[in-house]
Amino acid sequence: MEAKQKTIDIIKQTRKAAPEAFEARKLYLKMRKAIAEALKDEPKTIPQVAEATNIPIGEATYYMMAMLKFGELSVNGIDDMDEYYFYELKKA
Amino acid sequence: MEIQQETCINESLYDVLVIGAGIAGEESALKLADMGYRVLLVEKEPSIGGKMILLSKVFPTLDCAACITTPKVSETARHPNITILTLTEVEEIVRDTKNRFSVTLKKKPRYVVEKDCTGCQECEKACPAIVNDQFQFNLTARKAVYIPFTIANPRVALIDIDNCLLCGACEKACPSNCIDFTQKEEQLKITAKSVIVSTGFKLFDPIQIERYGFGRYKNVITSMQMERQLAPTRPFNNILRPSDGKVPDKIAYVFCAGSRDHTVGNPICSQVCCMYSTKQAQLLMGALPMADVSLYYINIRAFGKGFDEFYEQAKDMGAKYVKGKIASITEKENGNLILRYEDIATGKVTEKEHDLVVLSVGILANPGITRVFKKERLETDALNYIRQTDLLQSPAITSIEGVFAAGTATAPMDIPDTIMSAGAAATETSSYLARLS
Repeated sequence: MEAKQKTIDIIKQTRKAAPEAFEARKLYLKMRKAIAEALKDEPKTIPQVAEATNIPIGEATYYMMAMLKFGELSVNGIDDMDEYYFYELKKA
Repeated sequence: MEIQQETCINESLYDVLVIGAGIAGEESALKLADMGYRVLLVEKEPSIGGKMILLSKVFPTLDCAACITTPKVSETARHPNITILTLTEVEEIVRDTKNRFSVTLKKKPRYVVEKDCTGCQECEKACPAIVNDQFQFNLTARKAVYIPFTIANPRVALIDIDNCLLCGACEKACPSNCIDFTQKEEQLKITAKSVIVSTGFKLFDPIQIERYGFGRYKNVITSMQMERQLAPTRPFNNILRPSDGKVPDKIAYVFCAGSRDHTVGNPICSQVCCMYSTKQAQLLMGALPMADVSLYYINIRAFGKGFDEFYEQAKDMGAKYVKGKIASITEKENGNLILRYEDIATGKVTEKEHDLVVLSVGILANPGITRVFKKERLETDALNYIRQTDLLQSPAITSIEGVFAAGTATAPMDIPDTIMSAGAAATETSSYLARLS
């Protein structure tokens, strides 16, 4: 088991992570933090989150759908016009 | 019944090498394996199942695609006469002196010990790296360590090493200690008495047609992206516009996007777009009862059994079929899209606003496999599909003796025709093997 846990150290001797992977991670963390902040008090639709965070709405959609997939957000109903769903932070 | 573990190639002589584990490859492999032949099924993706396993439903029956394909996938994976290699590509095929094929394979590392992975996804939860999910056609993200999709087979994680941060979080989180960063690319040598090419098709990339705005306008999506949105394992919680998460209510389909179009090098009909768009229209009207669905077409080709009735059913449900080729698509500030087209019924150039546009993308040949045959030439036709040298009497026969073709490697076709083609390839192969012995 000890040897298994060190396989990451073995690959790191010959390979480095791509800078683009770190950039993508950094961006996701930034977006996630902003989205979580916007949703901390009440559920919001994607346009409401985009407005509250100044994240371009297309990017807000992409990252909120990723957070939904990763189990960080959940759906909380739809607006009166049946156009936009409300999303909230998933309760632990 | 013994489950075939893909890392265990104990024997190097097979009766048949099947290249490509989509529905055609699986069907051919199963038929031959049931006859007692030993089959090696090679797939370049991390899961078998091809494109069908990603579909929502099938036309014209509206049966659940996963419900049809997963039993076949499972049967293939568990068949004692079939050995499966995923993440594996064929590098070279040469006929040897015994009239058999000497095959060189390249197997990419999964960085996960397949027999130990339980598919628990604890590694995914721990992974901090995110990247576009290619199995959701980039509509959402996935982790760098991931299971391709819920019904993947094998349901085993893999690490996308190009996007991995090399943080080791997955290795710490894995309860079965199956992460193994020491895995290397392997070269395997096998011998096969015969080969079936079932490498499928490529989807047309509509970015080539600038006037449709795909890649520039987020609400112009492909039919495969809509297919994923309609599937139970969808990328979003419902059918939504990628630009802002709005539930669409005026949806347009643009037929023949990359088919019957000399300007993009694909002058032929893709056979399936009219019907899969009609299927999607019916599913959309079921999922979004208030939605208007308009389908812009050149000609409707509803040639198969039950197809015309299926088309009429869509019209009865409220789908609007508009005869007219789309000249251009432009985007409004709110993300809605203006379609400009000549309405053939009135002869007038008309504009119409929609909030989501789906491009019914066509099928293209996938001829890359022809390059692996050395000393002999696997011939293709004018459109780069595998040439069928005796199309009418023996459609699976190719220009190389002992090499057969199945499914959309030979031409665009729908799922039932693919199954029949795969059956024909299996029959020709068994006949060839009987002659050999």
